Amino acid sequence: MENNITLAGPLVYALATLGPGIGIGLIFSAYVSGVARQPEANSILRPIAFLGFALVEILALIGLVFAFL
Amino acid sequence: MSSAAFALSHNFVAAAGEGFTPPGLGEFIFQPYFSDGTLPWLTKPLVASVFAAVVVMVFFLVGSRQRALVPGRFQFAVESVYTFVRNGIARDVIGHGFEKYVPYLVTAFAFIAVSNLFGVIPGIQFPTLARLGFPLALALFSWAIYLGIGIKRAGFFGYFKSVMFPPGLPVFIYPLLAPIELIQVLLIRPFSLALRLTANMFAGHILLLLFTLGGTYMLFNESVLLKVLAPFALASAVGLTSFEAFIQVLQAYIFTLLSALYIAEAMSEEH
Amino acid sequence: MSFNLIASTAITASGESISSLLPKIEELLVGIVGFAVLLFILKKFAYPQFEATFQERTAAIEGGIEKAEKAQEQASAALAQYQAQLADARGEASTIRSEAQADRARIVEEARSEATAAAEQVTSRAAAQMEADRLAAKAELSAEVGRIALDLASRVVGEALTDDARARATVDRFIADLESSTQEGTR
Repeated sequence: MENNITLAGPLVYALATLGPGIGIGLIFSAYVSGVARQPEANSILRPIAFLGFALVEILALIGLVFAFL
Repeated sequence: MSSAAFALSHNFVAAAGEGFTPPGLGEFIFQPYFSDGTLPWLTKPLVASVFAAVVVMVFFLVGSRQRALVPGRFQFAVESVYTFVRNGIARDVIGHGFEKYVPYLVTAFAFIAVSNLFGVIPGIQFPTLARLGFPLALALFSWAIYLGIGIKRAGFFGYFKSVMFPPGLPVFIYPLLAPIELIQVLLIRPFSLALRLTANMFAGHILLLLFTLGGTYMLFNESVLLKVLAPFALASAVGLTSFEAFIQVLQAYIFTLLSALYIAEAMSEEH
Repeated sequence: MSFNLIASTAITASGESISSLLPKIEELLVGIVGFAVLLFILKKFAYPQFEATFQERTAAIEGGIEKAEKAQEQASAALAQYQAQLADARGEASTIRSEAQADRARIVEEARSEATAAAEQVTSRAAAQMEADRLAAKAELSAEVGRIALDLASRVVGEALTDDARARATVDRFIADLESSTQEGTR
């Protein structure tokens, strides 16, 4: 066994990024259009957007961890 | 890992790079400084982490010493970091009574940002928070703080009752919801905080290593094609380095923001 | 593969599993203790300074605003004062002007009346003089005429009319006739 990076691991991670990728795209599109409509709501929307981003991102990161298992 | 997958990967790697070893988990495991067995725990991440704390301490102590009404450049930079966390995170998220938690949030933000930026600073080039122990320590602080606030506010049983049985839901949901909420507050939150940091730094570090080492390998390979392509890989490494710097600060922001959100939730009367 | 130039280089040996990434107890301890010390020191020495600086700054800005407001007040008070003074001066000027106008009218009137009076005086004096002259001339003339007439008459009559009473009566009669004839003549 020379190393731990296998083809299976990257494949697992590639699949695991699909959902979070779409999710993060949706979150920030909603955030951007919200700020475009009401620029003064930016400070209210930012924590919510990043909270959603963090919750979705953790899924991709769990996928990354599983890729190494 | 199945042997089939291993064989596949072995062939793949061999075909691609004639024995190039991509960076793996080994990049995150360090030998002690003293090979003779004294101080076996003294490794590079440990030293770098303490160094990060010292950097943060000096930064804030020096920046707060002048106290000029019209700040100079350095004082302005230090104060901007402080006011960014104080007004942009603590005040906006927590609201009334946020002053008490500003010190923790500012310190966490600065420490995480500096530790993460070690990943791109030449000479250190290892994000110490990629070792799970450090972010877990930070997450435990957040965990203890928001649990402490909740228990102090509503009492031990009152707090967990408000967590597990939020009012206004149909009764048949509670058996399902209560354990999920309990696990969420007690386990998932601190571990997701820690794991988010670690995994981000881990992935970023691997990515940079892959492009740097791969580019170097390609440059010194005999194959002309790889030699021609090598500059592109190295240029990508440079670009990704600045991208990583951005991610590293962003992760510090997210950690601080989530901690503030948890604190705000524990402070609010209704769950 | 030596990536880290500092000592304690990463191992790239094969065979590591994810379990080697699990948190080591010393890292956890160093993290907790180091962060606690950092938090304590900064909370005690650094952050209160920031808050104090911010408060001083706020106070300074508020003080500046107050000062500016005071200056503004003073300026508007001075302006009001100047305007009042200006209005006073204007009123005074107009009073003076109207007084001067009245004075002028009075002076002109006085001068005119004085001149009229003087003219009248001159006129009346001239008239009186003329009357006096006329009377004097008349008296002188009548006396002269009387004497001449007497001379003539005495020469003509050849006798001396020494009887004064008669002589004067004759002269008076003569003059009265003469006057009546001249009055008729001038009429």
